[in-house]
Amino acid sequence: MGVTVLQPYPLPEGKSGAHIIDQLSKRLLSLGATHAGQFLVDCESYISTPQPHNGSPGRAVHVLHDSEHPASTFSIIDNGTGKQVALVADNSFDLLMGKVTNTFTSKKQTKIESRGARFEYGDFVIKLGSVTMMEHFKGILIEIEYKACVILAYCWEMIREVLQGFLGIGVGKDFPSYFATQTIMTAMGQQQLHAKHNDIFEPMDTVKQYLEQFTNYRKHVALLGGMGSGPGGPPVHMSPSVVGHAHRP
Amino acid sequence: MDKLNSTLTAVKNLRSNVRQCFEHLADGTDGEGGEDSRNKFVHDFQERFGAINSQMREVEQLINGLQVPPTAYSLGNTAYLAQETSQDRQALYPQLVNSYKWVDKVHDHSFLAFNNLNQNTLRRSYNYCSQKRQRLPFSSFNNDPDHIDKLLSEINTPPHTSYRIFRPFGTNAVAIVTISNVMKAAIVFKGVLIEWVTVKGFDEPLEHDDLWAESRYEVFRKVQEHAHSAMLHFFSPTLPDLAVKSYVTWLNSHIKLFLEPCKRCGKFVVHGLPPTWRDLRTLEPFHEECRNC
Repeated sequence: MGVTVLQPYPLPEGKSGAHIIDQLSKRLLSLGATHAGQFLVDCESYISTPQPHNGSPGRAVHVLHDSEHPASTFSIIDNGTGKQVALVADNSFDLLMGKVTNTFTSKKQTKIESRGARFEYGDFVIKLGSVTMMEHFKGILIEIEYKACVILAYCWEMIREVLQGFLGIGVGKDFPSYFATQTIMTAMGQQQLHAKHNDIFEPMDTVKQYLEQFTNYRKHVALLGGMGSGPGGPPVHMSPSVVGHAHRP
Repeated sequence: MDKLNSTLTAVKNLRSNVRQCFEHLADGTDGEGGEDSRNKFVHDFQERFGAINSQMREVEQLINGLQVPPTAYSLGNTAYLAQETSQDRQALYPQLVNSYKWVDKVHDHSFLAFNNLNQNTLRRSYNYCSQKRQRLPFSSFNNDPDHIDKLLSEINTPPHTSYRIFRPFGTNAVAIVTISNVMKAAIVFKGVLIEWVTVKGFDEPLEHDDLWAESRYEVFRKVQEHAHSAMLHFFSPTLPDLAVKSYVTWLNSHIKLFLEPCKRCGKFVVHGLPPTWRDLRTLEPFHEECRNC
């Protein structure tokens, strides 16, 4: 178990996703990485029925699977106000969700997944995922894991250097948005700053990052209003001004 | 072939008869000077001489009866006997001298190597050969447990490092060092000498029954290699306490294993690994490839 960072790759105009994946794989292989199988992360969302009448967003349950943890089912309950409850269960959890159709119904059309090749480079695991929703290509998600370290703050600079090395784009010096310092409520009801990048990393953190990115892709589709799947990444923490500075001075 | 064989036998018989005859002549009479014995001696000689004559004739007859063989006889290895045997032409002597010199050299070198190996400072626990060293207070391997407890408690630990000491092997201690959330190391002591170091990742199990397994991560396997070479570097049989203290200080510098770039190339990752080597004096981080150039 190590630290995993999810990085969306912005699709340049006029390039197909398969072409970019191919290019990135070639770069990784020439860097010295070895091809090590395939991976798949999928996400299915269930929403509560009936919908609340006061216009507030309904509760949703997101069920995710990660091929890195094949025996587990990850579920995140979202009460619609930003509060999330995470749960890791055995695979039979899927069957349970099938039994509660009268309170939670599956939104089949939002089933989204990221799949692709998996590479190993030293203690790094790099996954080049192409995101598809209902068989439509949505974008590219790069997952990079450093297995030997458990705290992002320690190894972020290493991960950033490797990312910049093979992506050829600049990656901001700040921690990814998921790990940014946030205000949380303690059990005593006090507000407190919490630096997530100093926490010990858990597999759930990977899954939550995937959910965050998948939600972005879904919102993007919703904004386009069903005008088809246009290319282009979701809003990410990558600033265009650093593009081109692939290597640190 | 039979003819040749009988001829050779006849020649042999002739030679032995001639020899016997001359032996008889040389022995002479028994010296008593009697007429009888003199006559007997002459008679014996004539008899033997007659036998020689008849055998001589027989040999001549046999030789005349021999035919020139149609093909050369195959004599096997004995054919070589007829070849040149002069020492100058065989050139055996210079080779012999050469090999003698080499044997001499090998003997000299093995003697030197034996002496050097016996003085090897990397054999740390027991040192039998050096008389000089035995006179030094070299007893670091059988110190009493109290001394080690005291020594380990005296090491001024940084707040991020914790030590756990237990004794699975009788009086010899094992210290499990956890350096922040970065890594764990098991230091196996023999007395106050460090015998073995195992380095593992923070999320890997490191218990007393699992001291020898290697880490599953490449980076910690590399750090363990370096930790072993540092262990030999810091080894000092005369000041064992200082050796342990310097070693632990060196080990603690791995707190920033992932955080510091290499001092030479300024990069974090080379060949998929962070700078795993820590300089023994300055504790500065280097990649394995960068430290020697």
